[in-house]
Amino acid sequence: MSGTATTLAESGATGPDARPAAAAAPARYRFVRRALNAGPVLALILLCLLFTVLNSQFLTVGNVRGIADASAILLVLAVGATFVILLGGIDLSVEGVMASSSLVAVLLAANDRNGNDLGYLAVLGGVATGALFGLVNGVLHVRLRIPSFMVTLGTGAVGIGVATVLFGGQPPRLLDEGLRDWGIGRWAGIPRVVFIAAVVLALGYFLQRFTKVGRYAYVIGGDEQIARLSGIPIARFKVAAFVVSGTAAGLAGVMAAARLGVGDVQIGSGQLFATITAVVVGGTLLTGGRGGVLQTLVGTLLISVLANGLILSGVSPYVQKAVQGVVIVAAVAATMWTARNRIRVVK
Amino acid sequence: MSTPVLQLRGITKRFPGVLALDDVSIEVRPHEVVGLIGENGAGKSTLLKILSGVYQPDSGELLVRGRPTRFRGPRDAARAGIGMVHQEQSLIGSVTVAENILLGAEGRSVRAGVYRWSDLNRRAKAQLDKIGSSIKPTAATDSLTFAQRQMVEVAKALAVEEQADHEPVIVLDEPTSVLEGADLETLFAQVQRLRGMASVIFVSHRLDEVLRVSDRVYVMKDGRCVAERDPKRVDVDELYRLMVGRESTGQYFREQEQRPVDGAEPLLVVEGLSKAGKYRDVSFTIRAGEVLGVAGVIGSGREDLCRTLFGAEGYDRGRITLAGRRVRFRSPADAVRAGIGYIPSERRVEGVAMGMSVRENILLADPRPVSVGPFLHPGRERRTVREWIDRLRIRTPGPDTDIGKLSGGNQQKVALAKWLNSPRLRVLILDHPTRGLDVGAKEDVYQFIRQMCGRGMGVLLLADTLEETIALSHTVLVMKDGQISARFDAAPGAKPSQVELVEQMV
Amino acid sequence: MDRDTAVRRLIAALPLAVLIVLVLVVTAKQPTFLGIRSIRTLLDGAAPILLLALGQTLVILTGGIDLSVAALASLGTVLLAKWLPGMGPGAIIAMLAALAFAGLLNGLACAYLQVPSFIVTLGAMGLWSGVSLSISGASTISITKGYDAIGWIRDLRLAQLPASFVLAALLAVLAAVVIRVFARGRLLHAMGLAERAALMSGVRTPRVRLAAFALSGLFAGLAALLLSASQFSGSPTLADALLLPTIAAVVVGGSAITGGVGGPLRTLVGALIIAVLRVGLSVVGVDPSYEQIVYGAVVIAAVALTLDRSRMGVVK
Repeated sequence: MSGTATTLAESGATGPDARPAAAAAPARYRFVRRALNAGPVLALILLCLLFTVLNSQFLTVGNVRGIADASAILLVLAVGATFVILLGGIDLSVEGVMASSSLVAVLLAANDRNGNDLGYLAVLGGVATGALFGLVNGVLHVRLRIPSFMVTLGTGAVGIGVATVLFGGQPPRLLDEGLRDWGIGRWAGIPRVVFIAAVVLALGYFLQRFTKVGRYAYVIGGDEQIARLSGIPIARFKVAAFVVSGTAAGLAGVMAAARLGVGDVQIGSGQLFATITAVVVGGTLLTGGRGGVLQTLVGTLLISVLANGLILSGVSPYVQKAVQGVVIVAAVAATMWTARNRIRVVK
Repeated sequence: MSTPVLQLRGITKRFPGVLALDDVSIEVRPHEVVGLIGENGAGKSTLLKILSGVYQPDSGELLVRGRPTRFRGPRDAARAGIGMVHQEQSLIGSVTVAENILLGAEGRSVRAGVYRWSDLNRRAKAQLDKIGSSIKPTAATDSLTFAQRQMVEVAKALAVEEQADHEPVIVLDEPTSVLEGADLETLFAQVQRLRGMASVIFVSHRLDEVLRVSDRVYVMKDGRCVAERDPKRVDVDELYRLMVGRESTGQYFREQEQRPVDGAEPLLVVEGLSKAGKYRDVSFTIRAGEVLGVAGVIGSGREDLCRTLFGAEGYDRGRITLAGRRVRFRSPADAVRAGIGYIPSERRVEGVAMGMSVRENILLADPRPVSVGPFLHPGRERRTVREWIDRLRIRTPGPDTDIGKLSGGNQQKVALAKWLNSPRLRVLILDHPTRGLDVGAKEDVYQFIRQMCGRGMGVLLLADTLEETIALSHTVLVMKDGQISARFDAAPGAKPSQVELVEQMV
Repeated sequence: MDRDTAVRRLIAALPLAVLIVLVLVVTAKQPTFLGIRSIRTLLDGAAPILLLALGQTLVILTGGIDLSVAALASLGTVLLAKWLPGMGPGAIIAMLAALAFAGLLNGLACAYLQVPSFIVTLGAMGLWSGVSLSISGASTISITKGYDAIGWIRDLRLAQLPASFVLAALLAVLAAVVIRVFARGRLLHAMGLAERAALMSGVRTPRVRLAAFALSGLFAGLAALLLSASQFSGSPTLADALLLPTIAAVVVGGSAITGGVGGPLRTLVGALIIAVLRVGLSVVGVDPSYEQIVYGAVVIAAVALTLDRSRMGVVK
């Protein structure tokens, strides 16, 4: 019967247009992935070149050291935030967490407000504060099913509030020399904070590459439905990612306190922006499932180099803030460009 | 005679208003390839969902190696040794092949949360070796071609063997719908190889392929298993007939109300429409009062065609003329303004606005009939909504009831009312309009279609079954692999047979 | 009335009940709370928040969020401070137009670049904040010459109550009426509840989104007007602290953060609750530094209560 006699050659040979979808998707995937990873690196190189040309001071040791110093805290924040964003969520509470953790740390260490002198335990206290915020964020998000931006907006405010309550009028000053040295001291000419950031980056990479917390962040961010059907306990790993982010923010708050010598409500001011921009510009997709801490490193450097270059060129820091605002929207728009479609619903 | 690996006895599954599976019994023996064929809506996918633990049957039993079992979820099915290779890809692109193969089943390869990659990769390689694939377990999944990913899916399905204490049952759900040429041959070779280490259920609407690889074939129709045959001794004609069932009874579809449309003015003229990867050189005309049915299987391009005509997708080449004017839609809103309506197959997401009332749904596409200028006229609103509820016999507690509370059939009627309410409407595209509807609701829909034609509207129909397509249409197009493979006139009394259509579809 | 509708009506009435309870509690602690002077102060402070929250309500109804409203309001005060001396009353129009345009830009980015609203408005928050700081040199600018163009708002009374609040409340009522009475009014809710279905029914969702964001900008401008008048100045950070109370007002009023449920009248109640809460906290003796904590906790609690979980699939 003619119907069944269709040979495979016939059923397969229907012309170039009819079924290339099978091959097309992976090719486009590959291109996008390469673009996502190569783009920011290229941009970084170009930017460095540009600023070197524009300003002879850019490539000096002192300036590079300054860039590294300025990037350290941002990198710590961004590495933590990467995990939440990989999941497809967002953490808007970093500034509040930094405020609280800086104050907890300073008030536990030798300071001019009370008689504590817990030294390194104070650092632990600050970091633990951050972890606690992360835990609360994760649990509220998972249990009450509140979108992450809403939960973290709320807890961020609580963080600022806790800090406001704690500092009692005037920012307490950190008197512990040992801790302050971590903030402003150097080893072999390199600021100590850079070493801390490097360690955090290494830890972050380890998490992302070798642990379930990291791998499942990719899986859940990639397709939560598939993850669920495979029997993965999603709630647990979502909370874990928020704890990572919170802990990093806690550490960042302690680092900032060590550097500035005070615990302050405003200590994290402006960092939220920079953090999210760094992660997104580096190539980690806001929708989750793609990217990583190495990409975030590139993004962080991009932001810092941009800021530094603009300062050297005499651009006011306020214009920088404005530029950053545009950059973050442009970066997200660029990474989502291929996903645009007529009937896509984006809230 | 060895115990069958898998037995389904008397499986029945109901959904609101629809009997998806009716007393289905099949069995799978060791090292056997069992084919499962049937039309869209025959119940194949529901059966597979029960097999994979996603649904639970309302009645009947499932026996694995002779022992009655109950699957409470996909994990139980995996533990019983049932591995599914889904129709839609179920791989995570940004992790490695090994991670995908052992997703959720990493077991001892992850200690204290830390991955032991060499162990994981070794286990994944073992599964890949079983099917003779050279794909590296460390490869990034999104760097693979589609065919390679399918191999990974097979390996993933095979991996259930680690969890069960016997050879697995691998279910291949429409594995060939996007494969061609050499890839196809590779797949068939895989199936043969699989036979040596597992049992296979091969589900497809492609008759020739199923017959080629299977030892036994089950035919499903309307939720029932209607036949079991030996592929080597079967009469293919008979298979077609079994698949498509009874010839249509004209009365049910109100065939007598089908009026001739030769000479009617053309409403929608499509010329040479092409979209890379979806369809090519599609041309047809819908005249006033005509129903144009389009038949085709998944991948034929008919669904994409509909979405293009409605402005939900773009196209590369060709022209569309509506009521004499050349049109180019940039969005569904453009199409609606021009007079095209669309009842999509995804009713709950696109067809009706869940969370809104019946009244609000009816007025969603065009509030002008009940407005005075920019303002709503409450009196007209009430009257109009009431009229539609009566005219279409929509069963609802009231016009302000949340539409989510209505049955599928009534929701569909509300969707219909929404489009009919707009005086602009010229052409209505119906994508699987009677899916999930009970018999009474279906009859109502058929009647409304006839009425619309009577009023000079055009209808583009993608029906659930061939029966519907043939009975309701004036003209039937068959699409295959993105092109129109046949055109049939379907005047009452001179309708093409379902067999003729199926031949062109597959 | 079936159980679901009854439950929903109950939940909708909750904010009003909460408001009444709050007022009673505070009055019990401080009987002068219901005195005319105290109420005036309360409403004066509530008016800018109400205006910001009204704009925010429109955006939230469609399922989005506008994190830039506070920064826009601050920008508005700076623009007024800069333009009033030279342009007189025309400065008001110019400022409102500028802010509405800024809102429109937000809408364009969301609708056509298809970037999520929280990113767009987060970026906008930084952009306009940077612009304000630049223009003002990061300092407060007093408005002396030209103040009369806006000064009248401060002292005007309607029925003994501050005109600022009464007018804002009337705007809320007007907005609610428009949504109800206009044929296109329900589109905001439609987008929040079932945007895909609305799209596939021919609704021009990008335009609705544009309108919502533009109006949000406009309302921020109105808030800026009030703020400048009461502070006699414009400052790049004047309204920054108002973002959270704004969102709180919308959510506490009973509008769902995911969109589709609620409206301007609910926000009116919510804004009053926030205002009373502020006063109430200090009356009860709570340190004002606890305000942020309270807002944060209140927002989370309110969202948790108003979420319609049955409709949510995957929560990110």
